[in-house]
Amino acid sequence: MVYEALDFYDVDSQLTEEEVMVRDMVRDWVEEEVLPKIEDACAEGVFPDEWRVALGEMGVLGAPLEGYGCPGLSYTAYGVICRELERGDSGLRSFASVQGSLAMYPIWDFGSEEQKEKYLPKMASGELIGCFGLTEPDYGSNPGDMVTRAEDKGDHYLLNGAKMWITNGTISDLAVVWAKLDGVIRGFIVETGDEGYSAPEMKGKYSLRASVTSELVFQDCKIPKDRILPGVKGLRGPFSCLNNARFGISWGALGAAQACYNSAKEYALSRTQFDQPIAAYQLIQNKLAWMLREITKGQLLALELGRKKDNGTWIPEHISLAKMNNVDIALEIARMARDMHGANGILDEYCIMRHMANLESVKTYEGTHDIHNLILGRHITGIQSFTRSL
Amino acid sequence: MVEIAVLLKQVPDTNAKIAVVGGRVDESAVTSWVTSPYDEYALEAALQHVEAAGGSITAITLGPARADKVLKDAAALGVTKLVRIWQDGWEDLDSNQVQSALADAVKASGAEMVYCGKQSADRNQGSTGPGIAELLGAACVVEVSEFDAAGSSYLRPAASGSEKVTVSAPAVITFTKTDSDLRRPNVRGIMMAKKAQIDVVASDVCGSQVTFNGHSSPAEKPPGKTYQGSDSVPEVVGLLRDEAKVL
Amino acid sequence: MDITIIAETNGNQLHAVTRQLVGAASSLGASPTILCPSGSGADEAAGIAGVGKVLSVNGDCFSTFDGGAWAAALDAAAGDGVIMGAATAQGRDVVSRIAARRSIPVVQDVVALSGGIKMTHPIYSGKAMQDVTVAGSCAITLRANTFPAAGDGGSAESATVQQSGDVKIAVQEAIAKASERLDVSDADVIISGGRGMGGPENFDKLYSLAEGLGAAVGASRAAVDAWDGIPHTMQVGQTGKTVNPTLYIAVGISGAIQHLAGMRTSKYIVAINKDPEAPIFKVADYGIVSTWEEALPVLASEIGKLQ
Repeated sequence: MVYEALDFYDVDSQLTEEEVMVRDMVRDWVEEEVLPKIEDACAEGVFPDEWRVALGEMGVLGAPLEGYGCPGLSYTAYGVICRELERGDSGLRSFASVQGSLAMYPIWDFGSEEQKEKYLPKMASGELIGCFGLTEPDYGSNPGDMVTRAEDKGDHYLLNGAKMWITNGTISDLAVVWAKLDGVIRGFIVETGDEGYSAPEMKGKYSLRASVTSELVFQDCKIPKDRILPGVKGLRGPFSCLNNARFGISWGALGAAQACYNSAKEYALSRTQFDQPIAAYQLIQNKLAWMLREITKGQLLALELGRKKDNGTWIPEHISLAKMNNVDIALEIARMARDMHGANGILDEYCIMRHMANLESVKTYEGTHDIHNLILGRHITGIQSFTRSL
Repeated sequence: MVEIAVLLKQVPDTNAKIAVVGGRVDESAVTSWVTSPYDEYALEAALQHVEAAGGSITAITLGPARADKVLKDAAALGVTKLVRIWQDGWEDLDSNQVQSALADAVKASGAEMVYCGKQSADRNQGSTGPGIAELLGAACVVEVSEFDAAGSSYLRPAASGSEKVTVSAPAVITFTKTDSDLRRPNVRGIMMAKKAQIDVVASDVCGSQVTFNGHSSPAEKPPGKTYQGSDSVPEVVGLLRDEAKVL
Repeated sequence: MDITIIAETNGNQLHAVTRQLVGAASSLGASPTILCPSGSGADEAAGIAGVGKVLSVNGDCFSTFDGGAWAAALDAAAGDGVIMGAATAQGRDVVSRIAARRSIPVVQDVVALSGGIKMTHPIYSGKAMQDVTVAGSCAITLRANTFPAAGDGGSAESATVQQSGDVKIAVQEAIAKASERLDVSDADVIISGGRGMGGPENFDKLYSLAEGLGAAVGASRAAVDAWDGIPHTMQVGQTGKTVNPTLYIAVGISGAIQHLAGMRTSKYIVAINKDPEAPIFKVADYGIVSTWEEALPVLASEIGKLQ
């Protein structure tokens, strides 16, 4: 069965031929290989390794990066890939976001030539998995005050501290870790097997269950000198990565919203009560029309943002707007869809609760909804309101 | 080494609703055009054959400009020789016209083997494979469901169930669904498809000997009926045979 | 207009569809000539009402099926006019090649015929019909079980002719019908069982029915969840496979919304359920209120009569 994604204003007609082919390649793979297995993967709480292999073979990891074996696609194409993956599952899209935007990108932009040659081609092929260590147990929205620190010991760096909520951590081969060296945030590549480094998995999640979430623990972790990312200092480093990931998420959330909309519409047309399909009732139509409205607006926002990313006229606040809006409406659509499915909506027969639970995480990570609001507030007024003191 | 011509037809997505407007299937209402599914299996078989034995593939389609898509999709899988046959004004070509145009393109390609689907998803006729074989003086094995990758044998239907046959070039092989997984394109292939060169060729065909009268929708199904008891089974079976015509 | 029919055989005997071809030819006012490759079925053919002549075509090529060789031999034996065959794999192959040899058009899978010759055949897997007229010579194949069969009472003259063609296909191995069961995704006819079947062992009745119909056997989620012997690959429904066959027979399936989601677009739906209130009856084209224990044996015997 071919999936028909809601596209009321025919926004996809503005994609290039290449972007359409990439979309169809991922869409077909998700339909045939992911959807039949996603409920089991979630029930077991695993990220199937075959998906890493398939993403590598399709060549979609690190989509917008050029050179070093990377795909070299447009940002819009990257957005399309995220949308098609997340229509499958947000956990699946999280794997690709972290690999491409948070682990490959910093090496690509801030790494040495040796580092790029060593890691990027194998990350593009999926042979090496990366993760991104910024968030700490006590430092989420305020990463600048992180306590993980690196000390220059002459012939190596010594890392101490811990990171939390790290997607891919336990299954990764390398981690791009942000730590303070003499009080300045720098990026370090830590490899699995480095002395003093461990990445235990965080269990007990009700959300993003098909994704591996981990702690990264550094206890006198020794890493060679050549592992520091030479090209960036300060928060600009991690924030550049986050901008790219957030961009992908602004498209990705639409995929989840489209999946929930499709299910709600199908269900409303099939479920009869009081002798008619519930789609004949006004309250149901109102909800479907609201979903259509928000998905359409979100698509236009995402497309325009993709263009700005591709022609360089973007600022981070543009991304904040799209990420915040599209994830927010996607979560609302998932909740509304659950309601429309009635009791059936809580079963794994339908994708609804899974998307709904996932989107709770997507609303929080990569900058919470509230933080993005304040980013826009600061942009509008010129006054930051994150904290009482500067 | 083997040179294979793969015939690909562009058809409306097989899940599309087909509407008849003004005595004709309304193509303008089709939102998604795809490669006819059995042709995809033929292409996969050809790709495996060339991987095993060396050689190359020419993908050929007969259709208007929108049919370039099936060739680009083949290019994304590595096919570099791409031919589209079309002439402005062509409409409702009959079997001889289609077969002669395709046979000419096959001859021009130098291919000694032709792989195609057993029938297209739109017209469902199944005449093209055997018809082209006749024009090329080639053998034809129809409805192949399994094949040896190097082309040494093909499995086709037989009274016993199925039979494994061998045939030497020149030959036309028509495919039904096979056990092969249809390979997906990847980004590298898609980038190459962007640069694909498609040869658009015209073809002189004789006049049509068939008068096209029109399309119609199939008869409306009568409303569903419920029958009581197992005694009604013979009646229902009769209706399935005579009314529904599914038995 | 002269009509030459290529007999369809089953081993050494005439296949039932050949009588339907004669019936169709007669309806156009013709007394068709029947060509019998290797003489198979020639005696029976001579006794069919309406047949003008039976010609046994003897040649070495007929020991193997090679459409090109058969077409060469039969083309030489057949007169001009209309060449008519059955729309089977072999029939379509041979008839296409005769048409190409003669540069006459071929129209396959015809379901309606009238003078002119006007023909109708399904397109888009039956979602629409195409209507054409061929005034001159042509080659056509007719869909089986669509035209009324001619009865007995004929006494056509018989003759024999030697014709052969070059066989270029060699059979290496005959393989008996696979015991591998057809998958629901691929089947044109599906018989599914639900919790109402009572136990996985009762699915044997469905498997034997399916064999008679060339069908696949499916199951509802309730059956798959309840019984180990019914694997998930058979599941049709919201979390199983979505299928779109020409005929879907639901046995002991209530028709909950999750199951309907997987088969609602089937062309024809038959339901067998002992509960007259079962929701499946709302979507069935032909609903039978009965226990499966009573209905299935009758169904099996009726289907057996059709073969």
